[in-house]
Amino acid sequence: MKQLKYTLVLLLCAIISSCSSDNDATTENLTGQKGSIALKFDNGVGDQNFAFNTTYQKSNNESFQLTTDLKYIISNVRFKDQNGNEFAVPEGNNMFIIDQDDANNAGEIFLNLDNINAANYTEITFGIGVDQDKYTQGATGQGNFLTLAQDKGMFWSWASGYKFVRLDGIYTDATTTNGALAVHMGSVGTSLDNYKEVTLTLPNTVLVRTNKSPEIHIKADILKIFDGETSVNFADGYNQVHTDATETPIIAVNMQNMFTVHHVHND
Amino acid sequence: MKYLKLKSIVFGLLIFNSCAKSDQFEANYEPIPLQVEKPSNFPDIEYTIENNPVTDAGFELGKKLFYEGKLSANNAIACAFCHEQAFAFTHHGHTLSHGVNDGIGFRNAQPMQNLAYQREFMWDGASTHLDLQPIIPISSELEMGETLSNIVAKLAAMPQYQKDFKRAFNGQGVTSENMLKALSQFMVMMVSANSKYDKFVRNEDNVVLTQIEQDGLNSFTTNCASCHATDLFTDQTYRNTGLPVNPQLNDKGRYNLGQNPADLYKFKVPSLRNVEKSYPYMHDGRFTTLEAVLDFYDSNIQGNSGTVDNALLRADGSYGINLTTYQKESIIAFLKTLTDYEFLEDERFAEF
Repeated sequence: MKQLKYTLVLLLCAIISSCSSDNDATTENLTGQKGSIALKFDNGVGDQNFAFNTTYQKSNNESFQLTTDLKYIISNVRFKDQNGNEFAVPEGNNMFIIDQDDANNAGEIFLNLDNINAANYTEITFGIGVDQDKYTQGATGQGNFLTLAQDKGMFWSWASGYKFVRLDGIYTDATTTNGALAVHMGSVGTSLDNYKEVTLTLPNTVLVRTNKSPEIHIKADILKIFDGETSVNFADGYNQVHTDATETPIIAVNMQNMFTVHHVHND
Repeated sequence: MKYLKLKSIVFGLLIFNSCAKSDQFEANYEPIPLQVEKPSNFPDIEYTIENNPVTDAGFELGKKLFYEGKLSANNAIACAFCHEQAFAFTHHGHTLSHGVNDGIGFRNAQPMQNLAYQREFMWDGASTHLDLQPIIPISSELEMGETLSNIVAKLAAMPQYQKDFKRAFNGQGVTSENMLKALSQFMVMMVSANSKYDKFVRNEDNVVLTQIEQDGLNSFTTNCASCHATDLFTDQTYRNTGLPVNPQLNDKGRYNLGQNPADLYKFKVPSLRNVEKSYPYMHDGRFTTLEAVLDFYDSNIQGNSGTVDNALLRADGSYGINLTTYQKESIIAFLKTLTDYEFLEDERFAEF
């Protein structure tokens, strides 16, 4: 029985290594084909591009600017194809930090996802932050992401937790001018879960093939962090958001609704 | 025979596929699995062993890291600096621990034992998984003052560590995940379950308690065991015992985690295993002797501005646990039966 299994494994190896080239598609067979997708994150504020040290107006006659940090964690990226099959980006390479400091001159931050099964994808889902599984599974599957997060200031050693989002800047309201603005929040261990997922329908089908590397342009409206599902005011304590059990879930839901897919490039 | 042949063919293929990297990884090293001890008087293991099965190579690497000064900014403060085996892995005699640059921490170093059986870690439960706990002292400016990326770089620069990591993690290199997993493999093996009390409850070696120890066990069961529950001697909850707040530290305990007023001045119920050796006591090490601890519970609870635990409420509305002099003496005699010399002297956990 065991011998049989080994023989089969060998046979399978032989097949996989030989079948890659002779597949001229009259009817397209995508089995075994892998391609890549680039996610292009583009932070904005309302109808403006985001820039540091620029003042933006929000509701309640309040304004803010970010001076040093605009970062958030994206994880558990997966795609659904036209037949409803889901493909998840392989574990171990599915946690990312979108850091405005990594943006090109056009303000775009690229996530290149490799080893994506070839298919026609119609929907993308991703998480903001880190899911509770990661908290209960310890270091497993995190590779050097802990290191990256700590280096980017996206990790509290205390409460051993990730900051899902980090905004640093200043704000002005009726009583305060240029007060310190800091949103550094995530889950609080296993006692407060602020991980949220976003599912977005793609405006046109994303074709992943060995020779095609489509690009999905995702816009994030930073204003919605404060003026989203719920409008919050700096005057009410939202100038400093850290671990509070009332404030942090509101911001988490606001962030869940700040993403849109602007367009898709198939090339 | 045929099986062997197939196996060597498969192996041959593997070598062919990977030979681009001519790393002399010890291909013939077979990991030896190690089992975490499960004493019959213990509750279930909490640690996610299935994600990180213990092997001899992983355990040995974890031990080496535990005693490795390079985990700190000045390359001198190892984990073991504040966790000395002879004192149940506490910082002998120190009320508060100190670290790099003469930093003084805020809390008393806790004993390290039976960690595989704990759900949360630190006095306030700031860590919810053993793998992630070491990041707290490592990153604390007052303790080890180091970053994970510096540690990974320092260790990766040492050929012996490269070998050790490959052996322990199936050919993988130095990563923060593997470093933390190795430390966990060392820590989960640290089971203390061979005290006089353990042998008594498990009916081993004809061990019996003396009269005063038995009386102490009875008083303990009545007065202390609702919090210091199970044979781990903690129910793993957080409670405000009414310790007066030290204004210099103003440590609000679990409140610091989520600013929940109900958590004000709450600290984790500590295990009492090896408590004879783990002095000084309480989260800030304020009491040097067990007598002082029992005197506090008997008559010195003054309360604080938080909510003192109801378990400490007397019938007359005041706080405290009434204990006679003999009850205190006997409870202490009983607590000393929790000293596990086999654990405290176990060479597997010793530096040398």
